[in-house]
Amino acid sequence: MILDDNFFEKFGVEYAPNEIIFCEFEPGNEFYFIQAGRVKIVKVINNREKTLDVLGTGDVFGEMSILEEEPRSATAIAMDRVKLLKFHRDNFDTLLQGNPQLAYKLLLIFSKRIYDAKRRLMILLLEEPQLKVMDVLIMLAEQDPHLDVQNEISLPVTAQQVASWAGMADTEVQKQLNHLNQIDKIVLYADRIVVRNIRDFQRMVTSRRKNMYS
Amino acid sequence: MTNGSANQGGIVTRQYKSGSIIYFENDKSEYIYILKAGRVILTSIKLDTGEEVKEDVRHGEFFGVKSALGRYPREETAQTIGETTVLVLRLADFERLILKNVNVVRKMLRVFSNQLRKIHKMVRSALGEGDNVSPAQELFRIGEYYYHAGVYKQAMYAYKKYMEHYPDTEYAAQAMQRIKEINSGQVSPGSVNMDFSEPAVSPKGDSHDMSDFTLESEHEEAADFNGDVEDSKASISDEMDDFLSDDAGLGDLDDFSFDEPAGKKGTKSAEQKFAEADTLFKNNKLAEALQLYEDVLNSGQGTDDNILGRIYLGMGKCHGRLGQQKAAMENYSTIIKQYGSSPYVKNAFFEIAAMFESARQKDKAVLYYKKAATMPPRDAVSEQAMMKIKQLQ
Repeated sequence: MILDDNFFEKFGVEYAPNEIIFCEFEPGNEFYFIQAGRVKIVKVINNREKTLDVLGTGDVFGEMSILEEEPRSATAIAMDRVKLLKFHRDNFDTLLQGNPQLAYKLLLIFSKRIYDAKRRLMILLLEEPQLKVMDVLIMLAEQDPHLDVQNEISLPVTAQQVASWAGMADTEVQKQLNHLNQIDKIVLYADRIVVRNIRDFQRMVTSRRKNMYS
Repeated sequence: MTNGSANQGGIVTRQYKSGSIIYFENDKSEYIYILKAGRVILTSIKLDTGEEVKEDVRHGEFFGVKSALGRYPREETAQTIGETTVLVLRLADFERLILKNVNVVRKMLRVFSNQLRKIHKMVRSALGEGDNVSPAQELFRIGEYYYHAGVYKQAMYAYKKYMEHYPDTEYAAQAMQRIKEINSGQVSPGSVNMDFSEPAVSPKGDSHDMSDFTLESEHEEAADFNGDVEDSKASISDEMDDFLSDDAGLGDLDDFSFDEPAGKKGTKSAEQKFAEADTLFKNNKLAEALQLYEDVLNSGQGTDDNILGRIYLGMGKCHGRLGQQKAAMENYSTIIKQYGSSPYVKNAFFEIAAMFESARQKDKAVLYYKKAATMPPRDAVSEQAMMKIKQLQ
């Protein structure tokens, strides 16, 4: 999205590395567009800081406060020197009128966030730990349209990230992954997981999901 | 369905017979529809209950928007009832149309934002995160997390925001106290002087965010900190800084100080909770025990190093037994770094040693058992540590 210079003058803010942009549970009235730099989204869960996402140029965050004030659901921290456009809810209407492109972009973002959140919920609602882990891998495979799911695929994900998606303890996920590794369904590497046949996993999860409520 | 006729550029009108399917769940397509005449029913399955939900599209309303925009499979099946006419838009048509009509976008955003809120709520409940959390209390808890983790800059932000938004609530006095402590650099009174310069030992060899098993010092953060508060963040907290530099104001706050009034009563009930937590721990009810320790921590009953040391020791042991070595290690190092005057420093060394022992890191284990063994007074823990050293050597 191209915005002119005086836009930055008016709405631009900058943050230094490691600076908090907003904190989980703080009331939120602004949302942000990243113009430059990276922002990490973290949450303190069970007395540990977990990174949920790393956002970059062109991304939007804090969008839940567009329509009404709501406590932030996570903490946003600048990873490097970050340039942002910061919009208050009160000038949202003016902003939309003057920048319909931005309005369209927000629709795209919301659509995607809703889908992603639903997809994650589907994982969380599965009961068996093994299936949850499989479904995280399926979800990651779905996110990359270039993967050839007929063949072995490689997913750049760590056990800890899988745990975070699945809402499970790291150790439990490690156990499940080790098991899948042993029976040669996957190959575990430090920084990636190779899945021999993701369609196998899909069949298992789909069939379980079908029977879940019957 | 009859052949579409072109209308307003790329937009096409289509007619369907009763009972036709416009699209099926899981179809992928970039078409967006507007209902012009007749009836369309959207049928979807509720994720959490599996129940079927049917929804009527109103005349003039869009459908199929989200999946087309997000380029993901349809989440519902769209079927007609009676003769039905719809307008079919491609993404580009849709974009052109709504760019001219920002009100429509605003309406959609409202709908989407509500949907997202609902899903987030379901996600939280699936994760077992309570729904009735108090944002004020949680914000303070975040401050406490960063404070105890030694990340004072982040802690300061949380405390200041707490004071800015929730100045009249439960933890205001404590938040002010923390702000004072951080500002004055008195964050870990009586901390033992430890050698933290060891190389990181990472049994799993992973994790980019926090290195496993590392007793890394946060000294750098702490050192940076004083300067940082001064020059950044000024905007957020001009008020707060004024407040802080105002001695009279602080005097008032001292009346709220938790050091004295909460004193005995607080300690006693913390004791009871400790006893309960110990029993839970013995019965291997680790999550519950952990919760109880966290409750004491968050309740503000932890008024001195002694109690806080005990809380972190309890949490560390629970985490350790739960296989959460990293969290356990963090708890123990919090005791050593922050609550140096507490008698539980010795236990912390002992537990760290035990963790290294079970990770088969003999040298490290001996090193930490030695720290525990040589720390006065000589007691059961020292004896046990001595025994361990003998066994290992």
